[in-house]
Amino acid sequence: MNSVVIIGLSHRSAPVALRERFAFASDKIPAALQTLRDTGIAAEAAILSTCNRVEIYAATTLAPDAAFVELKKFLVAQHAFDGALDDELYTLAEPHSLHHLFKVAAGLDSMVIGETEIFGQLKDAYELAFTHQFTGARLNKAFQRAFNVAKHLRTETNIQRGSVSVMSAAVELAEKIFTSLAEHEVLVIGAGETSEKTARALLSRGARGVVVTNRSPERATALAAELGGRAVPFAQWPDEFVQIDIAVSSTAARHHLLDRATLEPLMRRRRNRPLLLIDLAVPRDIDPAVNALDNVYLYNVDDLQGIANEYLSLRKEEAARCETIIAGKVAALLAANRFAPKSPAADV
Amino acid sequence: MAWFTDRHFFLLAVICYGLSTIYAVFLWRKGFRRDDWVNYFLIVAGVALHTLAMTKRGLTLHSCPVNNLYEATTFLLWALGLACLIYSLLPRFKFLCAFTAPVLFTVGVFALMPSLDPPHGPKPDFSNWLRSLHAATILQAYGAFGLAAVAAAMFLMQHHDLKFHKLRALLSFLPSIQRLELITLRLALVGFALFSLGLVTGQQLPRPEGKPYFCDPKVIWSALLWLVYLEMLVARLFLGRSNRRFTLGIILAFVFLLLTFGITNFYSGLHHP
Repeated sequence: MNSVVIIGLSHRSAPVALRERFAFASDKIPAALQTLRDTGIAAEAAILSTCNRVEIYAATTLAPDAAFVELKKFLVAQHAFDGALDDELYTLAEPHSLHHLFKVAAGLDSMVIGETEIFGQLKDAYELAFTHQFTGARLNKAFQRAFNVAKHLRTETNIQRGSVSVMSAAVELAEKIFTSLAEHEVLVIGAGETSEKTARALLSRGARGVVVTNRSPERATALAAELGGRAVPFAQWPDEFVQIDIAVSSTAARHHLLDRATLEPLMRRRRNRPLLLIDLAVPRDIDPAVNALDNVYLYNVDDLQGIANEYLSLRKEEAARCETIIAGKVAALLAANRFAPKSPAADV
Repeated sequence: MAWFTDRHFFLLAVICYGLSTIYAVFLWRKGFRRDDWVNYFLIVAGVALHTLAMTKRGLTLHSCPVNNLYEATTFLLWALGLACLIYSLLPRFKFLCAFTAPVLFTVGVFALMPSLDPPHGPKPDFSNWLRSLHAATILQAYGAFGLAAVAAAMFLMQHHDLKFHKLRALLSFLPSIQRLELITLRLALVGFALFSLGLVTGQQLPRPEGKPYFCDPKVIWSALLWLVYLEMLVARLFLGRSNRRFTLGIILAFVFLLLTFGITNFYSGLHHP
């Protein structure tokens, strides 16, 4: 009877130099899967190859230890690897292989715990194998169950809740202040990469528009054109405060560009509408004293990083809960007819 | 079941409000992260029992049950509870119940004091439709002011958390502060309109001989309250008063209303002959 085994390497076990050495181009995967079948290593197989992991999921009649030897030989041969491999390569047999598959689908084994991109990548890997008929009853059931469990964890736990990057934390803050970003314009002070990414994140969540200002007007014009906004001369950006509701600042200035004395009269002109200030610059562009003004909410890069870190630790706490749920789901899957428990798993 | 009076129904309603208050404390300690319906259904149960209590009293009196301080207070709380249930159906406003429950419970316990509910004479004071309209609009206005104060409290909590970079601001399932402020403003406007209508109808009511309208403590108190709300609304709508000061004012005005409502009612010759 077939059992599900996994061989692979990931960000946890191998450096990027080794991971890229073993990566599969998607157009080469069907041929690789065909080889696995032709050589009798696996009756069913799927290959997941991302920047953070390369894994072969196989359903095989071979004993796990024999299967791992063959799979390792296959991997080495496929990539013409002639170096030494120790702990970089991990192997998993049932039930740990299924547990691992469920964890990968839920993003629990990802570099950023709970991230959702891996779910799509795993689905693509499975669909590629399924379309070319390299999967059968065993892998189909395992993958379908993994996707269901991932969806269940997403809705029933907080594993994917919250912003784990500075940019997404800024967007989440904006959504806690303003009912809809569609009515609010963003001012980008300093056309740096971080402020550009933050502005893009805000625009992707529906911000009405963007105004860019920079000491170099060419750079401001170029970025404004790229973001579909408008550029204003650097000397005139304070005037924009009457219109905009979110300002993202990231310049190389050695002193504060915006202080309380400057902002106070501007807030009166704004008729005290809420204003979100995101200061991503080091040294800071905005005097922390402006946060004391009514309707002003100032966050600097440390504040945003702090939010992202706290979310990350919350996700780690939640991961323990997810592990328990997964253990239950794996046990249920193994208890089902086609997944009766086999001999004790061999983890290498 | 004759021994089971309307006051017993109201007592059960207050128990539901109390349970909701206890649950609200747990929600608060958890940072309003559990978006469930427990609190909402506790308030639904409370308002249902509350409605039964008021209906029973109203049927006994054959008029709107607002003849003494107990009845007036229960009517005010009923308007507040009902408005809370309706507004809680808005997206992300389910936690309004958690903020309203403590007000319903504490004022409900106060209303249950026996001295506030003396036996009625053979002819209830509010037998005239204009009087019923006056009492109903005024008490509904108090309910709207109460709910505005609750929304304002939610605003101030979120404002504080955002200002001081507390993660709870992001983790909680509360609406944006802009939305909270808008709801506060709208409720205060509704309350103000009802209050104005109530005062106008009150002025039309026949008065006992020798009791001048504008010297009555309750009338003076109401006029003062009307001016306080007018000032806050004008300052917010036309003079650009900050959201924080506006919401703080709404809370303080309602606290003032709750603390002085009974006293002015007691000393009012028109309302407490």
